Amino acid sequence: MRLPRFEYLGPKTLEGALDLMATHRDDAKILAGGTDLLVRMKKGLIRPKTIISLKALDELAYIKRDTRENRNNILIGGRTLIADIIASDLVQRKAPALSRACERIGAITLQHFVGTLAGNILQDNRCWHYNQSQFHRSGRGACHKDGGKICYARQDSDRCNSTCQSDGATALMALNASITLQRKGGRRRVDLADFYTNDGIAPHAIESHELLTQICIPIQGGQSAYKRLSYRSAIDYPLVCAGVLLIPSTASPTEISEARIVVGAMGRSPLYMAAASASLGGKKLDDTDAFQKAGKAAMDTAATFAVHNVGSTLEYRYAMVAEMVFQALTEAGEAARETGQKAANKGVQ
Amino acid sequence: MSEYAIIGKRMPRVDSRAKVMGKTKFTADLNLPNMLVGKIKRSPHAHARIIHNDTTKAKAPPGVMSVVTGKDTAGVKWGVFAYTRDQQFIQTDKARYIGDEVAGVAAIDEETALKALDLIEVEYEILPPVFDPMEAMTMETELIHTEFPNNINIHVNIDTGQVDENFAKAHYIREDTFVAPEESYFQAEPYAVVARFDSEDCLEIWCPNGGPHMKSKPLSNAFKIPLHRVKVRKIAIGGAFGGRSEICPADYICALLAKKTGRPVKIKFTREENTIATRQGHAMITTHRTGVDQEGRVLARETTCYMDGGAYSSTGPIATSVPFLSMEQAYRMGSVRYNGYRIYTNKPIRGMIRVHGRGFAAGLDTQLDMIAAHLNIDPVEMRLKNSRQQGEYTSTKSFVASCAMDETIHKAVAKSGFSEKFGNLPPFHGIGMGTNSVQTGFPMGIRGGSQAFIKFNEDGEATVMSGVVDNGQGNDNMVVQIAAEELGLLPEDIHLVSADTETTASDPGSYSQVSTFVGGQAVKIAAQNCRAKLFDVAAKVLKVEPSTLAAKNRLIFVKDTPEICIPIKKVVRISLLNFTSVNAEGGYWPRVDMKREWVSNPYGQMCEAFSFGTTIVEVKVNPATGQVTVLNATAAQDVGYALNPLVLEGQFEGSIAMGGQGGMLTEYHEWKEGRCLNPTMLDYKLPLACDMPPIHSIMVESIDPKGPYGAKEAAMSIAMSAAQAYAAAVSNAIGVYMDSFPLTPDKILAAIKAKENKEPE
Ligand SMILES: Cc1cc2nc3c(=O)[nH]c(=O)nc-3n(C[C@H](O)[C@H](O)[C@H](O)COP(=O)(O)OP(=O)(O)OC[C@H]3O[C@@H](n4cnc5c(N)ncnc54)[C@H](O)[C@@H]3O)c2cc1C
Ligand code: SF4
Repeated sequence: MRLPRFEYLGPKTLEGALDLMATHRDDAKILAGGTDLLVRMKKGLIRPKTIISLKALDELAYIKRDTRENRNNILIGGRTLIADIIASDLVQRKAPALSRACERIGAITLQHFVGTLAGNILQDNRCWHYNQSQFHRSGRGACHKDGGKICYARQDSDRCNSTCQSDGATALMALNASITLQRKGGRRRVDLADFYTNDGIAPHAIESHELLTQICIPIQGGQSAYKRLSYRSAIDYPLVCAGVLLIPSTASPTEISEARIVVGAMGRSPLYMAAASASLGGKKLDDTDAFQKAGKAAMDTAATFAVHNVGSTLEYRYAMVAEMVFQALTEAGEAARETGQKAANKGVQ
Repeated sequence: MSEYAIIGKRMPRVDSRAKVMGKTKFTADLNLPNMLVGKIKRSPHAHARIIHNDTTKAKAPPGVMSVVTGKDTAGVKWGVFAYTRDQQFIQTDKARYIGDEVAGVAAIDEETALKALDLIEVEYEILPPVFDPMEAMTMETELIHTEFPNNINIHVNIDTGQVDENFAKAHYIREDTFVAPEESYFQAEPYAVVARFDSEDCLEIWCPNGGPHMKSKPLSNAFKIPLHRVKVRKIAIGGAFGGRSEICPADYICALLAKKTGRPVKIKFTREENTIATRQGHAMITTHRTGVDQEGRVLARETTCYMDGGAYSSTGPIATSVPFLSMEQAYRMGSVRYNGYRIYTNKPIRGMIRVHGRGFAAGLDTQLDMIAAHLNIDPVEMRLKNSRQQGEYTSTKSFVASCAMDETIHKAVAKSGFSEKFGNLPPFHGIGMGTNSVQTGFPMGIRGGSQAFIKFNEDGEATVMSGVVDNGQGNDNMVVQIAAEELGLLPEDIHLVSADTETTASDPGSYSQVSTFVGGQAVKIAAQNCRAKLFDVAAKVLKVEPSTLAAKNRLIFVKDTPEICIPIKKVVRISLLNFTSVNAEGGYWPRVDMKREWVSNPYGQMCEAFSFGTTIVEVKVNPATGQVTVLNATAAQDVGYALNPLVLEGQFEGSIAMGGQGGMLTEYHEWKEGRCLNPTMLDYKLPLACDMPPIHSIMVESIDPKGPYGAKEAAMSIAMSAAQAYAAAVSNAIGVYMDSFPLTPDKILAAIKAKENKEPE
């Protein structure tokens, strides 16, 4: 398959990139690693006139801890490689869910050489009726995402039900992350949970002249975990994934004060499971029964979103929502108990 | 220790260094001066009448050199047999699957060619398509091929007689149905072809092939030019697995474009084209009915199989037979009746594949395990009671000259610890076995034999000319090893000219597992003939009888007194100075029953040798997710004689990957109205290296009386028995006999849940 022709621009500075984005607006696309973008271009799904590459913007490749003015955050730049995140001790210790998620993105080659976390968040939603060659999509009516009026994944659907299969976004949403979007002359910060449009055609609330410059993960003193399921051990998008964060109560450290459960690959965006999360408040960190119930609740919610468009069977993916959530909660609970224990031991000494 | 110097040794393949260094050139890498880019226009409709095919606009843009349609093909049709000639290279009347060829374009570059494709205006009248073979037989809608009523393309009927009588005598009878969908090969190399007509109007063509002579004949027919004018050239090939056995419409279209433009043309398939527009393995619905006596011996079997053949015949008669033949070779069946139906549907074309009928074979073995459980017989015993023995005739009357099936069973059982483990493993931990047999050759009429030529060069090195093709399995190395062994040279002294229809004689090709047995044998005979000539000359020089001589390590010497010797180079030079030829030929034609025919007379000697194999795998199933972890695989095959254990191990391992790990756990296609939803490697779940279990390879040597050094088909019995073993192991682990393959986690989990619901704790 062939890349269509385009104009390639390689700004040397962030300012320069923002300038170009302001000029070209909808005609341009940002190129980070290209592992999502170029594949879609080859299939003729998008035909940007201009490509603005982030290649030279080393200023956006960093992972650091921000402890200024009582803050306690991990900051990740808008062009940081997935491989660097996997290698980061800070992320490993303070946001293990993100480490685990990044380890499973594509394959080592993709992680090392090109793929970025910002690109991972901003990768387009997927659907096996849509992510196909031009030939495949010919000879039948175009679907909503392809500029038409049909949905092949859900009969009679008046909108697109494409699936967000981003591992990174699922983990980050569980970690309560926010992102910084910068444009010429301004910037805004959005919680990842508020970043989605609920529209499968354009799933992210971002303007064409906005650049994702930073990802911010608050360090909240809890434990996070991430579980995902695919048929192969690598080069396989998730069929279901779950990111969780458990924050123990300061008063009674064996109890959960706050839980966040996020399920990915089941809807147009990672799905924050409000009811299932809330159900864990006050529960013990090893309450298997409560974890199982939370998994089931998450399954019931996710089932209302998912369509059969990324592989396996819907029934199986539903069942696996419960399982992945349960596994992630168990792991996070165990880790939290361990850290609690260690802290207690220290206190005794 | 064998008496051989080179044969039987773990010799690294002659082609591996270039391959791992990325230096090997495949068809897509070829660049000829002035070459054009060719592209194929394909039907986006599964079943549609072509009303109008207008190329006027497509021809207009600068850089478009030629546009061809069915009007340019003179209606030539392809089919492996005279009675299956049903596929035009470019359709004129009707498209029968999504991907069917409707036009071809040659342009100065890819961009222009793609633009021209878009400008071809094909007007279709959409016809009702049919995708399900069972529906296809009863549909009232327009037939896919009008000459084939009920859309039944092929019906193979085999009946040994006494079937009903023996069922009446049976102690226990079971009937079970097994299903498995179609599968794809995913050769590492997507299909590509380069063609040109030279100054003498000869067609020169490069493409992956299962046998160059299998390509040249249909091309000569299609272009109505004599065979010597079709020069299929040798080129490195990145995998075939049965999917390169026939001529591909792209070969014809590429050659036609080259002819029209007078320039070389290259067509390179996308991965999607390779998946949908070459071949696939058949989807099958198989019912086995088996009757046994009290001891578990099979008295009678009746098998009925419905195969989804896709849009055209391809190798239909063969593909409809081989799944059954493999089982009738592996097991004695008393009496048997087989009805195989190959049915046309509006899906991609199905052909030959390394694992013939994963559901067919796994079903048969699963049923044996069910019967064994009912009779309280252990699975090993059950197989030993029914396994093929040397000196017997198969149900379809092939004599089995060599067979070490039982030895493969015993060795695999011992190595894997099957007997200790079976029935004694913890819950969701299982072990299972499968046994199978594969033909070393098919009856191929005039192209059944192979001939080789050897010429000595004055420097004492030799050039071997053989029609044998290497698809990646190591055939080039096999030929070099044999020639070096027989001529007394080192492998680096042998120069191979192979798989080229201009310089090599007819050969059956590799797709009937016959390259070593027939092609290798021809090389062996040629080398022996050549050596005899050298010995005559050397004997005179050394003043001994030729019969006392041997050759090894570039020397000819007296067997009993090796100090009396002479370098081969010197013998060659002396011969040439004394007006004596140092070249020779050799040929081998397997003695098969020439009257045997797939449909009209499926009885008689099929081929001269059969391989036999046993695979055992041990698995753990995660009861929460249904996912399978394979702990280890043990593969034992009667290969006749292991010419190169190193190469064979590679074949065994690939067989486990294709037949078991991929074929039985994750590989299947998803469809929507005839469109393949997962044509790429990302979405079709081929196993990766990191998914593979540890594999123990055991080579059993029965020394076939006809095979070169006793060798016969090597490793395909593993690919097939792996499918059976994976099914058996998973069934054993979850305590449910599975009947729908591949065993994806969703099916396994559903089976576990259904079982739990049935038997509350
Ligand atoms: C074989 C294969 C397997 C894969 N498997 C997985 C998987 O398992 N899990 C998974 O989550 N993903 C997977 N991916 C998708 C993709 O590779 C990853 O999501 C990767 O992280 C994308 O990063 P990138 O830098 O290559 O993004 P790009 O392709 O460069 O960009 C993706 C999108 O984001 C935009 N973009 C990128 N950076 C910015 C920025 N800073 N500001 C604004 N817009 C931006 C681009 O314009 C584009 O639209 C896979 C891809 C392939 C090819
Ligand atoms: S969900 Fe429907 S509309 Fe969206 S991409 Fe898939 S088929 Fe198209």
